[in-house]
Amino acid sequence: MYFALTDDQRDFGAAVRDFLAGKFDTEAVRAVVEDPEGSGHPAALWQAMGEQGWLAVLVPEERDGLGLGMVDAQVIARELGAGVAPGPWRGTVLAAEAIRLAGSRSQQQQWLPKLAAGDVVGALALRGSTEDGWPAVEYAESADLLVVADNVGLRLLRRDEVTTRRLDSFDGTTRLATVTLADGVGEPLPGATSRALTELAARAAILVAADLVGIAHESLTRTVDYDRERKQFGVPVGSFQALKHHLADLHIGVTMAEHAVLYAAHALDTGSAADPDAALAVAVAKSKASDSAAQMTGAMIQYLGGIGYTWEHEAHFFYKRAKRLAGTHGTADDHRARIAELTID
Amino acid sequence: MDLSFTADEERFRDELRGWLSAHIPEEWTRPGFWASLPSKENFELRREWERDKALAGFAGIQWPTEYGGRGGTPGMKAIYDEEMVRARAPQTVNPLGLTFLAPTVMAIGTDAQRKEIIGPMLRNEVIWCQGFSEPGAGSDLAALSTRGVRDGDDFVVNGQKVWTTNAVHGDKIFTMVRTEPGAERHRGISMMLISMDQPGVEARPLKQMSGASEFGEVFFTDARVPASECLGELGDGWRTAMLLLSFERGASGIGQYTEFRRQYDEIVEVARALGRDRDPVVRGKLARVLAELECLRYHAMHVLTQVERGRDLGFEASMTKLQWSETFQDLWEVFDDVIGPDATVREPVPGLDLAAMHAQAMWSRSVTIWGGSSQVQRNIVAERVLGLPR
Repeated sequence: MYFALTDDQRDFGAAVRDFLAGKFDTEAVRAVVEDPEGSGHPAALWQAMGEQGWLAVLVPEERDGLGLGMVDAQVIARELGAGVAPGPWRGTVLAAEAIRLAGSRSQQQQWLPKLAAGDVVGALALRGSTEDGWPAVEYAESADLLVVADNVGLRLLRRDEVTTRRLDSFDGTTRLATVTLADGVGEPLPGATSRALTELAARAAILVAADLVGIAHESLTRTVDYDRERKQFGVPVGSFQALKHHLADLHIGVTMAEHAVLYAAHALDTGSAADPDAALAVAVAKSKASDSAAQMTGAMIQYLGGIGYTWEHEAHFFYKRAKRLAGTHGTADDHRARIAELTID
Repeated sequence: MDLSFTADEERFRDELRGWLSAHIPEEWTRPGFWASLPSKENFELRREWERDKALAGFAGIQWPTEYGGRGGTPGMKAIYDEEMVRARAPQTVNPLGLTFLAPTVMAIGTDAQRKEIIGPMLRNEVIWCQGFSEPGAGSDLAALSTRGVRDGDDFVVNGQKVWTTNAVHGDKIFTMVRTEPGAERHRGISMMLISMDQPGVEARPLKQMSGASEFGEVFFTDARVPASECLGELGDGWRTAMLLLSFERGASGIGQYTEFRRQYDEIVEVARALGRDRDPVVRGKLARVLAELECLRYHAMHVLTQVERGRDLGFEASMTKLQWSETFQDLWEVFDDVIGPDATVREPVPGLDLAAMHAQAMWSRSVTIWGGSSQVQRNIVAERVLGLPR
């Protein structure tokens, strides 16, 4: 039995974390948040993601990728969440996954090396349709290549085949846009069976869940650090049981979400997302991570007191990102409905 | 990640499964069977069965062979816990002895104690009780006041213990006694091993809110215990107790998950029988508790991984306790929601006898109190794991 990350996986996570702490800290995030008209896609960060293999994690070695699995990918996603990092990492990784799972040989040959290197920015839209378009797609404006779900399967669209319309989002650590078809209809991914779609949706949900776990964990750490020092009534506020007991429960919740994401990622690496145990694990992980991050970031604002409600403090980066991602690739309630189907019906 | 057990461990699973299927009569696995037996008969049947199991080599799974154990791995213990639940095997009659006393004796007992205590315990010749809680010492265990006064080679013990599992069946009790007058709080306590078969010891069943009597009270009135019948040093009983309680931090979560998941499925069956399984609110509540149960399973794998590598989980054990006990209680609250207007009725529709399930629902109120209440556990997690100030 080995239910834990390997040393290599831990080192990978530490490298992402160290890079963000040194080169793209919350002040850099603030610059993105406070420039809502901007692309939200800092070039220096993107270049580093390409150089350090963060984009290549799931791409097979024969397509110039690292050929690793979801356990490795969730390590990166988690650190990006902890760093509230902007940029089209997830969309690019998932567009590549879509092509790996459902693309033709030539589509794979053409796109996977470029996506792995960061030469091409990808985006994924599983919610929407050819007629009505695809709402709130992450970094659709930055994407050179979009993978969208249509009525029959998946479709590859290039930037010039779509029209995008920026959506205002109160989460400034991303950019969202509505996508509609402009000229052309792109090309279908020939292997986009319902099974491939299930695999893709599961991977999307787990990468979002891992980001949420990173957000929740970092928010907990920041809250505990603050409440150890902050004094009221002559004592640290963290000595009051009203806070302690809630923070203890939140810590357990975050830890359980972390376990659930790890288990689900491993289940996807070793079997099919359609397998009932894997399907259950994905639904458990996403619902638990969504709830934990929403609760924890809300508690962070509460237990920082007034400062936590200011624009000046970065607590709201975490809170707003958690709110957005809690609803991305299935809300907690959506995933609980799936749990009910799997265990009641 | 590697969630498999070794080939040796899987062989052990097959052997154990084979033995259990040959030695558990079908009748024993029916709901309500054990509850239908008189207490004494119930206990004796389980005592004998468990002795046979031990003689067949399926006890003390992780204990060294020199003490009559199997010398197995933590993975085998996890498999054992899981298979016992799956087979609906009878509950152990010596839980406190097996879980707490035996490993403590192996760690710090004298050679004589190791010889005298462990073998007879494995064969259920001696049933052990634990005497920790007192009417005035619950969460604040150091407030205990049972006292022992030296009289020649013996101590003469007076006081009262409460919440003693198997009190009326017990042969001996390992119990915390103040043996140094004037010593305060954690000092001057000794872990005495007292024979319950003497005029100075009286055990009474304690009728619980469920109507059952798993627990009892033990009264010491000039009870005698030889000074040599002390585990660890005289006066050092607090440390002995802390060591003893640390043995709860094993990897039993996989067995617990197996049991609770079966209970979840039984509650779903009731929902179906009552036509409540399509109710979206009920479904949402069931799904929420199921998610927590699955997390308990994943967490158990994490714990087992740490235990297999010899890492001390330390205060993380409090997180495990909170996760299983709070989830178990939530599960049975959902049961009440499922039966709704008939929440207290034994047979809401003819043929649907819920007595055993109501008993579980009642029992679920106790698990967040015993073994360290949820409030004490949250203090531990906040202070010892998160590092918040006391």
